[in-house]
Amino acid sequence: MDILASFGNGLLVVLQPENLMYCFIGVFLGTFIGVLPGIGSMAAIAMILPITFYLDPTPALVMIAGVFYGAEYGGSTASILLNVPGTPAASITAIEGHQLAKKGRAGVALFSTATASFGGGIIGMIVIALLSPSLANLALSFAPADYFAVILLGLIAASAVSNGGALKGIAMVVTGLMLGTIGIDLTTGVTRFTMGIPELRDGVHIVIVAMGLFGVGEVIASIRGARSGQAAQTVDYTDFYPSKKEWKSLFAPILRGGAIGSFVGALPGTGQTIAAALAYAAEKRVSPQRKDFGTGVVPGVAVPEAANNSATQTAFIPTLTLGVPGSPPMAIVIGALMIYGITPGPRLLTEQPDMFWGLVASFLVGNIMLLILNVPLIGIWVRLLRIPYKYMYPTIIVLICMGVYSLNNNVFDVWLTLIIGVVGYVMRLFRFEPAPLLLGFVLGPMMEEQLRRTMLLSRGDPMVFLERPISATLLAMTALIIVFALYSSAKTRRRTLASTLASNRKEQSNEQ
Amino acid sequence: MNSKTTFAAAALAVVAISSNAALAEPGAWSDEPVRIVVTFPPGGTSDLVARLLAQHLDTDYGQKAVVDNRPGAAGTVAADYVAQQAPDGTTLILSNNAPFTISPTRFASLPYDPIDGFTHIAYIGASAPGLFVQPSSGITTLEEYVAFVNETPMTYGSSGVGSISHILGEAVDAALSVESIHVPYQGSSPAIQDFRARALDSFYDMVVQNSAMIEDGEAVALAIASPERNPQLPGVPTFREQGYDVVIENWVGLSAPAGIDPDMRAQIHETVLAVFADPEVQTKLTDLGITHVAMSSEEYEALVGELIGVWATLIEAAGIKE
Repeated sequence: MDILASFGNGLLVVLQPENLMYCFIGVFLGTFIGVLPGIGSMAAIAMILPITFYLDPTPALVMIAGVFYGAEYGGSTASILLNVPGTPAASITAIEGHQLAKKGRAGVALFSTATASFGGGIIGMIVIALLSPSLANLALSFAPADYFAVILLGLIAASAVSNGGALKGIAMVVTGLMLGTIGIDLTTGVTRFTMGIPELRDGVHIVIVAMGLFGVGEVIASIRGARSGQAAQTVDYTDFYPSKKEWKSLFAPILRGGAIGSFVGALPGTGQTIAAALAYAAEKRVSPQRKDFGTGVVPGVAVPEAANNSATQTAFIPTLTLGVPGSPPMAIVIGALMIYGITPGPRLLTEQPDMFWGLVASFLVGNIMLLILNVPLIGIWVRLLRIPYKYMYPTIIVLICMGVYSLNNNVFDVWLTLIIGVVGYVMRLFRFEPAPLLLGFVLGPMMEEQLRRTMLLSRGDPMVFLERPISATLLAMTALIIVFALYSSAKTRRRTLASTLASNRKEQSNEQ
Repeated sequence: MNSKTTFAAAALAVVAISSNAALAEPGAWSDEPVRIVVTFPPGGTSDLVARLLAQHLDTDYGQKAVVDNRPGAAGTVAADYVAQQAPDGTTLILSNNAPFTISPTRFASLPYDPIDGFTHIAYIGASAPGLFVQPSSGITTLEEYVAFVNETPMTYGSSGVGSISHILGEAVDAALSVESIHVPYQGSSPAIQDFRARALDSFYDMVVQNSAMIEDGEAVALAIASPERNPQLPGVPTFREQGYDVVIENWVGLSAPAGIDPDMRAQIHETVLAVFADPEVQTKLTDLGITHVAMSSEEYEALVGELIGVWATLIEAAGIKE
């Protein structure tokens, strides 16, 4: 009941005209950026961050969140129509979605993704409303040792389940960790790796790394990928609404996708792409239409969309209750709150109830807005894909430079962003994922800080990690993940080894 | 800083105001909007003071002013930038400890001169940090604290290496002849969070900002590092009255690039003093924990020079020179 009353209060907060307006701006901008191929929510959040400095914390947070989940709605549009994912998570949606579009059923695919996104968003919102208060209560007694264990779990989980090559993923995490060590060492006050540049004394700002890797890098890669606005398939509005049978087949996948997404999203270090991929993989096993997966089925677009949207909402749980960002965009949310002097953590719920519940309620309002934006107004977004990139991308680069400059009013930051952008582009050429780098960059310094603080507090006794029940439990979970990852990689290696041996034998017998 | 300087300053300020008033009237000094550079990101105490000043310069005296946040490298980025601007009264800096009295000693080389590179115009005021311990420790006085710490050393949280709360921690250790374990944080809020989770035995932070914790019985403020008790918290004794000469204050003022026209300097000084003489503005300052003191420009400049020496001793004692 308490939760309902708090939620009602939150609804009153978000229904104030100012907050409604920023919620709308957020979801609109999010959809806009999401539709554009290559540029994800990360770049969008980084770009609007400087604007939020002029707002109150609540509308600012509502707007940032709106961009974040709005981008996941928009991301599916380009992936269905062009097979070019608008956001990384939407690449899973493209598997079935683009097949549907090829069959001339793009309208149905777009409608199903919007509905599934809405369903997933609402499931995520319910989870965050129910879980956050109790988790915050638990987190009140978190000591540095416990925070260290949470972050370690996040980093290990991210590298164990990340998509793409494990070795490249680890290389990126390590690069991120190294970038994160630049600046003043918090424990001793000694500057590290600044090369005498005073601007590097405080380290490299998260927004600079994010904008460089995800904004500039992706824009360059996109320009190379698609020279002009590809003629998007026309959407046939007469075939927009799913058939009765398809409607029915939507419901269960949305629930399953929402549940998996909520769980995965709340774990630090995972994120929407992994949520969508896991949900799709699970659905492929349990769906009654599992035989047809891959040929373009409605549940196949619904599941990843429900999962990535619920994960987007529940990602706020560790961010707001522990102050530990689970993903790069959440790190920016924490950065934004710190600018207002609000420290995300267990006391946020009691000290800023209007802000927290306003945010939760804004998920409901924002998802309704997105449903309207993405169903009746889908035509606008489809047309957006026809704007020539030669106008679109230079504009984005200019906006990125302006945004970075406004961080510290310093031109050095703009140059640094452009350099990181070029590095990000080269990384992309060699198929190195930028996400693990950013996660290492964000979580590495936090982990070092908490580790050294724990050792100071325990007067150098490492047993404290095993003596505290919370950190001991979390470390045990981390150990389990490592064991599982080693076991499954050994299994796949044995399998590939067996199959290569088998094929070698076959080749040999063929030769004879 | 010791109380004698502050008192002398306050006394002289009265004279200074009357003599300066003959030269200049409060009012706009530039047709261009004035930039007040702040060494911290938006949202902190410094930023709020600058915004308060900018707002009243415009509404009360028609002097357009904007706040320009240039955080980074302990305020040295902002100070270096301001030192290179034209001294035409359109670029001012909200001066404070970090770039002017801590960095000159802490860093081996600075790109600017904290005294000759600037014309220091007006002192605004100062807030004071203090020492907080867990209520469960049962300690209520410095005497009990010394007895306790001599038995079992305490951990204390600060806002970071080289921060005012860290330097105060080192100064208190030296004055009380005890040894505590320093645990640095990024700003005071995470330190307070760990204190509340009982991971930290004590912490140093601005006292007035934590008055809610004191009233709720979540923390005991053993002593404040101001020369006098703060009127907002008359129950918190000073270090000095408990027999230890520890005075460390976090001051703010207004400065310009060196070489500003003396008449304009007087004009700015009068206008800023007039803004902070307004009772409504003073209430807002007090809420931020800042005690306002009126001072002449010359005294303020002398004070900055004197404080560099005071902080040099503290920083060298704390062993945080780079």
